[in-house]
Amino acid sequence: MNAIPLLLYLAAGILYAFYFAERRASVGHAATAVLGLGAVAHAFITGMETMAVGRMPIASAPEAVSMFVWLLALAYLYMEMATEERALGVFIAPLLVALQALRAVSPVVDKKVPILESPWFGVHVASLLFAYASLALAFVVGLTYVLLFKEIKAKHLGFFYKRLPSLDSLDLMNARTVMVGWLFLTVGVAVGVIWTIQAKSAPVVDPRVQAISLADPKILASIVSWAIYTYALYARKRGFGGRRSAYISVIGFAIVLINFVPIGFFLTRSHNFGG
Amino acid sequence: MHLFLLGVSHKTTPVEVRERLDFAARGLGAALEALGRRPSAQEAVVLSTCNRAEIYVACDEVPAARADLLGFLAEYHGLEADSLAPHVYERVDADAAHHLFRVAGGLDSLVVGEPQILGQVKDAFAAASEERTVGPVMNKVFPWSFTVGKRVRTETAVAEGAVSISFAATSLARKIFGDLKGRTVVVVGAGEMGKLTAQHLQTQGVGRMLITSRTLAHAAALAGSLDAAALPWAELDAALGHADIVISATGSALPVLTRPQIEQVMRGRRNRPLFLIDIALPRDIEPAVGDLEAVFLYNIDDLQAVVQENLARRGAEVARAEGIVAEEVRRFETWLAARGVIPTVVALRQRFDAIRRRELERLQPKLAGLPPEAIPRVEEITRLLVEKLLITPTEQLKSTPDPERVRAYADALTRLFALDAEEPARREPGRDPAAPRADHAGPSVTP
Repeated sequence: MNAIPLLLYLAAGILYAFYFAERRASVGHAATAVLGLGAVAHAFITGMETMAVGRMPIASAPEAVSMFVWLLALAYLYMEMATEERALGVFIAPLLVALQALRAVSPVVDKKVPILESPWFGVHVASLLFAYASLALAFVVGLTYVLLFKEIKAKHLGFFYKRLPSLDSLDLMNARTVMVGWLFLTVGVAVGVIWTIQAKSAPVVDPRVQAISLADPKILASIVSWAIYTYALYARKRGFGGRRSAYISVIGFAIVLINFVPIGFFLTRSHNFGG
Repeated sequence: MHLFLLGVSHKTTPVEVRERLDFAARGLGAALEALGRRPSAQEAVVLSTCNRAEIYVACDEVPAARADLLGFLAEYHGLEADSLAPHVYERVDADAAHHLFRVAGGLDSLVVGEPQILGQVKDAFAAASEERTVGPVMNKVFPWSFTVGKRVRTETAVAEGAVSISFAATSLARKIFGDLKGRTVVVVGAGEMGKLTAQHLQTQGVGRMLITSRTLAHAAALAGSLDAAALPWAELDAALGHADIVISATGSALPVLTRPQIEQVMRGRRNRPLFLIDIALPRDIEPAVGDLEAVFLYNIDDLQAVVQENLARRGAEVARAEGIVAEEVRRFETWLAARGVIPTVVALRQRFDAIRRRELERLQPKLAGLPPEAIPRVEEITRLLVEKLLITPTEQLKSTPDPERVRAYADALTRLFALDAEEPARREPGRDPAAPRADHAGPSVTP
C-alpha cells in the first residue's frame, strides 16, 4: 500500500527534475499536481492504517518516517503556494522518495504498546515530526542558497543562477523554516521531558523508559540538533544570516536525519516501540 | 498577389546611408501616405528603426513594384536611385515572410533576441492600419509575425540573459536582493558610465539612490537629473554601512575603496550582502575586497564576461529559433498559395459560366417550344450543374497543404482550360463537345 504514494512521489520528482532543467511552466504545474496527489494518497493510506491498528501509525521508526514524509510534502506544497516558486521541488523530492521507500520495505507493526496510550505521546511525536519537516525545508533552502551564493561569488552565472530564486528570498525562507522548526522542536522535546518524568513515577516502569538518558544516542542527537538550531537563531539575530545560517541548517538537518534513520531504526534503546 | 519586401538594414548598409533612409523623422504616416499614391503598392507597411528601413507591399507585378519602390525610396529621401540599389535587398512571397518572421523574432537584430524589435514591428503595423494601407495580405502576415516573435522568445532562450553591462549589473542585483524596492544604491563618481547603470537601476525601482563625488557640485548635478540625493564625499563610509548596491565609476587613478575600508564597513553590517559594481578604468575597488564574506564584487570585465556568455548562449539557441521560423513560413506559404489560386478559380468559374450562357443562347430556338414557366427552370438547373461540377475541384485546390502542388494544380487548370487565352471556345462553336449533352440536359428537367 505504501508503494502508491512512493510511486507518485517518484513521478513528481522526475517531473520536478524535468521542470528544473527545461523550465517549462506546464511541467511545473504537472509536478505540483502529482505531488499533491501523492500527499492525498499518503493521507488516505495513513488514515486506513490508523483505523486498522487503532492508533496513529507513529509508534515505530518506519511509521514515523512515513509520517514525516507526508508532513514534508505538505509543508513543501504550502511553501510552493506561498512563494509561487517550484525550483526547489527537485531537491525535496529525492528526500521524499528515499524515506518513503524505507517505509515501504519495512514490516508493518500492529501491536499496541501500553506506554503509548498517554496523551503526551501524540503531542510529542507530532511536534517533532512537524519540526523535522520544517527543518528539512530549511536544509533544502540552505543548500540551494550555498549553491547560488557560490555561483555569484565565483562569477560563473550558470545553471543555478538561471533557475533559483534570489539569495534574499532563499535567506528569508531559511529564516522562517528554521524558526518554525525550532519552535516545534522545543515543544516536542519539552513534552518528552515532562512525559518521561511522569512515566518514571509510575508503579511499573517500562524498560524503555528506564533507558531514557543523555547516554541514549537518540536523545543525545536530539539535544545536539536543538542546540544547533538555537545557535542558528541566535546568529541570525546578531546579523549573521546568509551563508552561515544556510550552512548551519544543512549541518543541523544532517544530524536530524542521522537521528531519524540509523539511530531511530537500530541504535536507540529508549525509542524502540516497533520491535 | 505577391508579398514583396524592399529594404536596407545594418547587415547590408553602412550607417551613413541608413540614417538618410530613416522614415521616423517625418513620421510613418507621411511615408505611408506618399507610398499609397504609388501605383504598385496595393497594401503597404513601413518598418523603420535605427537598424533598418523596410517597405512591405502587396503587389501584382514584382518587377514593377521593385522599380516603383526603389524610385519611391530615392525620391522620398532625396537620393539617387542608382546609389541606393547596391544596398537594397528584396524578398518575394514566402521569402519576404521568412524575413519578417526573423525580424520579429529578433533573429535579424544586431543583438540577437533583443526585445524592442517586436514592439517596433507592431507599431509599424499599427501605423499602417491607421493609415488604412493594409489589406488581406498585411492583415495576415503581420499578426502572424507577432505570433512567431512571441513563440521564438518563449520557446527558445534567444532572448534570455542580460546582454549589456548595465542590464547584467541589474539582473545580478535582482538575483542577490530579489525585489529592489527599499534597497539603497550609492553611486561613487558622477561620470557618464555610472549614470547609465544608475539610470537602469532607477527604472527597476530602487528605494533610495545617493550620489557622491569628490566635487559635491558634480554629484548634485547628476543627482538632480536622476531623482537621487547628493552625498558629501566625507560621508561615503557611513553611507556604505546602509548601502546594498554600490556603483563605482570615478576617474581616479588609485583605488577609491580599499579592503581595510570595506572590512570596516562589513563589520557593522555583519552578513548583510553588499553588491559592489566597479565599472571604472582603472579600477576603483581593490580586487581583494571581493574575498570578504557577503561581498559580491564585479568589475567591468566580469560584467563583460557575463554578457559574452549570455550572447554565446543566445547564439546556441538561434538554430532552434530558425526552426520555428521555418515551420511558420511553411504554414504561411500554404495560406499564400491558397490565396494565389483565387484568380484561377475565378477564371475557371467564368469560363464554365460563359459556356453555359453560350449554349443556352445557341439553344434558344429549341427552348422556345417549352412552356414559359420552364425557361427559368432550365436556367437554374444549368447554373446548379456548373456549380456542382466546380465545388469539388475548388475545395481540393484550396485545401491542398503543399504550396508547390497547389501551384502545379493551378497551372494545370490554366493550361487544360486555356484560362490565360481569350475565350478559346468561341473559335469552335460547331464542334463543342458539350453541346449535345447540354441539349439533352435541357428538356429532361421538365417532367
